Amino acid sequence: MMKTTRLLALAAAAFLSAPLTTLAAVPEPLVPPHQKWDFDGPFGQFDQKALQRGFMVYDRICSTCHGMKALTYNDLSGIGMSEQAILDLAHSKMIAGPPDVSGQPTSRPGRPDDHFRSPFPSDEAAAAMMGGVAPPDQSRLAVIQPHGADWLYAFLTGYKMPPPADAPVVPGKFYNDWVDGHLIGMPPPLMNGMIQYPDGTPATVEQQARDVTSFLVWAADPHRTARHRTGLWVVLYLIGLLVLAIAWKKKTWKRVKSQ
Amino acid sequence: MTDHSDTTESTEPGRRDFLGMVTTAGVAAGACACAVPFVQSLAPQDSASAHLPVDVDISKLAPGQQMTAVWQGKPVFILRRTPEDLKQLQDAALVADLRDPDSSVLQQPSYAKNWHRSFVPEYGVYVGVCTHLGCVPVYEATTGGDNKGRYNCPCHGSKFDLAGRVRKGVPAPYNLPVPPHVLVSPTQLRLGESPKGESFDFSSIVQI
Amino acid sequence: MKTPENTGDHSANTPPATGLAGWIDQRLPVISAFRAEYVDFRLPRNLNWLWNFGAILTVVLVLMLATGIFLAMNYTATDAGAFLSVEAIDRQLSGGWLLRAMHMTGANLFLAALYIHLFRGLYYGSYKAPREILWLTGLILLVMVMATAFAGYMLPWGQMSYWGADVITKAVGAVPVIGGALEHIMTGSDHLGDVFLHRFFVLHFLMAFLVVAVVGLHVTAVHISGSNNPLGIEPKTKKDTLTFHPYYTTKDLVGLIIFALIFTALMFFWPNLLAEPANYAPADPMHTPADIEPEWYFLPFYGLLQSVPSKFGGLLAAAGSIVVLFFLPWLDRSPIRSARFRPLCRVGLLGLVVAFVLLAVAGKHHAEGVWMIVARLAGLYYFGYFLVLLPLAARMEKTRPLPSSIAAAEGDA
Repeated sequence: MMKTTRLLALAAAAFLSAPLTTLAAVPEPLVPPHQKWDFDGPFGQFDQKALQRGFMVYDRICSTCHGMKALTYNDLSGIGMSEQAILDLAHSKMIAGPPDVSGQPTSRPGRPDDHFRSPFPSDEAAAAMMGGVAPPDQSRLAVIQPHGADWLYAFLTGYKMPPPADAPVVPGKFYNDWVDGHLIGMPPPLMNGMIQYPDGTPATVEQQARDVTSFLVWAADPHRTARHRTGLWVVLYLIGLLVLAIAWKKKTWKRVKSQ
Repeated sequence: MTDHSDTTESTEPGRRDFLGMVTTAGVAAGACACAVPFVQSLAPQDSASAHLPVDVDISKLAPGQQMTAVWQGKPVFILRRTPEDLKQLQDAALVADLRDPDSSVLQQPSYAKNWHRSFVPEYGVYVGVCTHLGCVPVYEATTGGDNKGRYNCPCHGSKFDLAGRVRKGVPAPYNLPVPPHVLVSPTQLRLGESPKGESFDFSSIVQI
Repeated sequence: MKTPENTGDHSANTPPATGLAGWIDQRLPVISAFRAEYVDFRLPRNLNWLWNFGAILTVVLVLMLATGIFLAMNYTATDAGAFLSVEAIDRQLSGGWLLRAMHMTGANLFLAALYIHLFRGLYYGSYKAPREILWLTGLILLVMVMATAFAGYMLPWGQMSYWGADVITKAVGAVPVIGGALEHIMTGSDHLGDVFLHRFFVLHFLMAFLVVAVVGLHVTAVHISGSNNPLGIEPKTKKDTLTFHPYYTTKDLVGLIIFALIFTALMFFWPNLLAEPANYAPADPMHTPADIEPEWYFLPFYGLLQSVPSKFGGLLAAAGSIVVLFFLPWLDRSPIRSARFRPLCRVGLLGLVVAFVLLAVAGKHHAEGVWMIVARLAGLYYFGYFLVLLPLAARMEKTRPLPSSIAAAEGDA
């Protein structure tokens, strides 16, 4: 009896609170518009050309503030960079070495198996230099960030300069449609024609945003192409095996069932 | 009925056996394929950076002194030989007591296949790993008189002269290996790189 | 396959092995023991697809051990090194991403298969005499596997690992009197760091092998008592049974391949369906992530934990939900095993599944408002089912008539 009453009360409560929850969600959730990506879906694969352009954007622009600690220069073979190009790239980065004989810090040219050089010596130093908030590491950013690629693209193209008339203005902060509160300390990173792609693709803000988003998704999930490919073969093999196994099982059990 | 079915099993074995064998083989093949990532993960992770040349500052190395540098994770002896040391290396009595005085076994690059086993006579460069069982030999400087300089292995008493050549009657079979090296300036030695026009793959040396 | 005599009592009619096999078998009868237990062993002829999960769990356990050993070879159990070592396995170690994906997917599907296996035992009354020990070893395995899974989830030392550890150690600290000491032993120092990680790494590794040992007992127990079956009546004649090979080997194989297909689909195509993205951020003791929640397989227990306002009470409720299962063989006194013939229990069990799922959903939400009420009602039902409904049903329930034998029920008398 008791239970029934409670259940009824519960149903009533759920019924009553349903409109409340829709009302409560007044600040519309930031769901970025969906973009079409080559790497989407269970069969998606990365476009290596886009990844290479995206790495260029990351290397020239993002990496001045954001680290990507989990990757080594060698990992870039995954976006189709040649061994020599990786060697040259690593060599062009000065990496902190061990203290010298008099205890002074040293630096040395990078090697292919060095991890990506971090722009700041520590998170604390980064926070101190960047207005209190350390720029997040980008190794897995595209996985951690809700809506991953779609959000990254929307965010990178979502700066409004000047901000809309009704937006609050805070010195040192920038207006972006896709962050909570619409204000962020990170200045708009991309500009039209800021870099030149060697393959001749026009470097518009949208193009750069697309490319660097692809690169960030790759960095967060570098084996996606191989994973999808291997997965397809494994599934085909298992289906073949399943057909055989079912036939074998049926044949075996017929002796019991048919009697 | 089960009994009956069990007898049919023996009367028509052909197709079931065939189907069973094919399926079993399929399962076994799949299990073997599963082993691939396991085996892959055991592959030695050769660090590419270890194969980059190493620069060693030899400006503070006095004649008769030896220093140890690290190259590919191995200790490399760099010995600055005195004129007496060099004279000693060509001494007939010593040469007669060497197992391989002419460095005929491949333990060094071609530009070190000479009486001093190095690029320039003044500097001897050896990988400090005994060719017997891999201990690190100890350097003993020439102290005049009969105390000729040499390398002694602490483990089983192998002896090498100051060109890294092994003496007769000791367990070590070969001379100490010489790594590729080049003197880039009078004060800087580069390990892992050969002089212009030369090349040497260190992994090609003879080992037991 | 060359032996036609599956008719005799198992092992009795098997011809002695000859050659090298015979030589070994005379000295150490492993081959004949294997034949007796896995070839000629007789099982009820009416086992349905739910009986595949024993074999499935065995295979996944082997996979977990194999991948776990290889991952451990590349793992560093330190505060500073753990996260990066897992990243290195995923990125730089050749084949490492596949090993880790197998281990992660395996952990999730192992728990899923375990819950189905347990539910099957509940539904068909497999805990009743003479299978009480079989049931108890199974429950010990459940607890051990949950502990292993929890310890394993700590190891990547991401945000979810860290804050999961934080919440659980604090919950343990709520035990009266000894809680503080327990918490301190778990963390191993004044903060969650090197000592904690190292302890949990060793624990995770060790527990996996202890699980294998208890699985040995579990399997021995089932080979002593024989399998239960969907009818819940014991086989009487040979007509009621079939040999393990080829009947159940072929059936298990089909089940295993279907399970492997699900495994593969999750692992290769939807790897983040079961994983928590926040765990890809390294542990940061200064920032708690927005929504911390345990892995899905702990959610029902987390729901119970949250539903009780007192910290210790919540712990008791969560632990009690498993403890009560240990008493099941003595709470349910009905002589009928299978819920097929127990209309009341059948409905009650359906309710239990709904309550379990509701608790999980409630565990996903903050313990407030509607979800608090849902969690409490579901929790009450959970305990009510075992402590009130089952004992009462044994006396009052009008059961359906049992068939005279398995063969008769299969239309083969």
